[in-house]
Amino acid sequence: MAHCELASKPLLQCLRNTYSRGVAGVQLQTRAFQSTASVREAEAETPSQPFHKAPDPSLVTSPRLERRLLRQGTTPIGSRRRRAALQNSDNIPFEQLPYQCFQEARKILLADREEKLKEIETMRQRLARQEALSVEEAGGAKAKKSRVTAMQLHLEHLKILADINDPLVKRKFEDNEGDMSKPIYRFLADRKWREYRRKILVQRITQMKVIPDVLPHCDPIVETKLYFGKRQVQAGEFVEAKLSTDAPKLDVQMFEGGEKLVTIAVVDPDVPNVENDNFDYKTHFLAVNVPISATSTKVDLAQLLEDSQVVLPWLPPVAQKGSPYHRLSLFIMEQKDSQPLDFAAVKAKETNRDTTLLRTLQSRYRLKAIGAHLFRTQWDDTTLEVMKQIGFDGANVELRRKRVEPLPYKRRNPSSFR
Amino acid sequence: MFKPRVLTPLRALERAFTPTIRSTPALSQSQSLLRTLSATPTFPKTTPTPSLSSALLPFTQVRHASHASQGTANRHSRDPAGKRLGAKRTGGEYVVPGCIIFRQRGSLWFPGENCGMGRDHTIYATQAGYVRYYLDPLKHSKRRYIGVVFDKDEQLPHPRNAPSRRKLNMAPVPMAERVEAQSDLVASVDENGVRVADVEAVEAASGPQLRPGYMYREANWEIGRAAERAGITAMPHDRGNRWLAWRKRQQRAERAAQLKSLKGKKKTAKK
Repeated sequence: MAHCELASKPLLQCLRNTYSRGVAGVQLQTRAFQSTASVREAEAETPSQPFHKAPDPSLVTSPRLERRLLRQGTTPIGSRRRRAALQNSDNIPFEQLPYQCFQEARKILLADREEKLKEIETMRQRLARQEALSVEEAGGAKAKKSRVTAMQLHLEHLKILADINDPLVKRKFEDNEGDMSKPIYRFLADRKWREYRRKILVQRITQMKVIPDVLPHCDPIVETKLYFGKRQVQAGEFVEAKLSTDAPKLDVQMFEGGEKLVTIAVVDPDVPNVENDNFDYKTHFLAVNVPISATSTKVDLAQLLEDSQVVLPWLPPVAQKGSPYHRLSLFIMEQKDSQPLDFAAVKAKETNRDTTLLRTLQSRYRLKAIGAHLFRTQWDDTTLEVMKQIGFDGANVELRRKRVEPLPYKRRNPSSFR
Repeated sequence: MFKPRVLTPLRALERAFTPTIRSTPALSQSQSLLRTLSATPTFPKTTPTPSLSSALLPFTQVRHASHASQGTANRHSRDPAGKRLGAKRTGGEYVVPGCIIFRQRGSLWFPGENCGMGRDHTIYATQAGYVRYYLDPLKHSKRRYIGVVFDKDEQLPHPRNAPSRRKLNMAPVPMAERVEAQSDLVASVDENGVRVADVEAVEAASGPQLRPGYMYREANWEIGRAAERAGITAMPHDRGNRWLAWRKRQQRAERAAQLKSLKGKKKTAKK
């Protein structure tokens, strides 16, 4: 900060304060039209407790207070920069902000929204008319279907366009208060996920070769978070054996409307096979007919129903001493047309953890991978304990590298040396 | 400078004596003296009149045999010894881990399946198998790869979506008991490879022994534990303790400044 700015800062603050006081007077006059009390007034009503005793999650800026709030279980709202800015602001609603250019711009945005709403209405009517047409009139079932889907897509697009410029929507989304049942918030969340988190996930599952090893192809369209207890595990992270004894919790965020039935599988493609000198697969978890939607995202693998969902219950992953790390890959697979699978038949068929390949399951039950996650496990201090707990039969054996016979020394073309 | 003022009378003197200077060898010394004093040529230049014969004849440069027969001066430094680059193993040949397959300057070939690239771009095998030279247009359109496959008739590149073929190359061994106390390490070689194990702590810590360098002394690890025996404890490092970090940084800066000042003093003392 330049010296002149430093010097002028208190002056500016002083000016700003007097200015806001003036605006507050305006606000008082228009108070009758307002339905909600501003933050400032709410504070003024309860001045008894100092701020550091009961910090406001929308205004707190010091890291210490933030940490305390987090420990209490409330997350601070928005970015710290925004919270700091809010401390000095008057929280005047957008309609009353005394900036002419701003208000003109708002008018344009509102007019655009009106226009989009009209378009949505006409599109809905057209769609209804199209659907009401008989197959002969529409020119074949295929043509009708393609036209209807195109219209539905356009309608969804218009719904997003209607709200995308609304500053309140943006603010709500940034505060994680967005209602995921509405298309605009799903759209924003999807965009945010694809900007960074999804790229990381795709990089991890391809660089660690989960994609050709476990499944031939996967295009993640749902965001998956994995928790062991309270701890979130990033894709590809090493997890201690003791931490992963209990089944993890999932947070599966869908970005489409409606509900889906999915199959969840956890597969380890790195089980050492000493006899054949290669690696085997092992299915650590398999559950079918798990409902997910944009609003109900939490899936606790331990809480799924034993009699209608869980085919193979959770088996704690362990890595033998000396063996290369194990990749535990989790796949969320969409069932065809969201139809439930016959649980009894699946349970009767998939009994062996070692022989159920995910590729086979995918083709047998017509599944499609829509989400993936990955964690790794290796030998650590707690592994032996877990091995004894689950009765792992190779607990007292460690793997060592086999010596490769060196090539015999061959004298090249000896006759020419003489 | 005094140069021009000194030179002007000398020049005048010279002009007066020009013909005699040329004839007399005694004065040539003064002439050379003059040359050293003034860098500019002091004699009045006579412009060379082009002779008739040189104007008429075409300009030709002649190199006599004595020049050509001497050869170029730096040929041998420009034609160094070969560096023995190129393929050391052909396609289909059997290699073991670490076996060098190709030596090159720059990455003419890239490491493919079960191969690695060394510090000088040498391609070497990381698995025992058979060498393949191949292109993989799906991975990179222009790169040439060298790979190692496990089967003699296996082809590279593998299909994109096929699971990777790997070998375990490991043997199960009963787990060694962990020795709690610190001890010396010994290595033994058997058919399973090299095993590094501990000597029991009691034996290792039996006082000074004859050690390399013909010294009777304690083992290095015992010397390293002297502080522990003496009961000296260091404060555990705390990243958040910025006050301590700042103090240490200040101390280091002070010490550096002190050393710098000492260094300067030494220099002046030498002079």
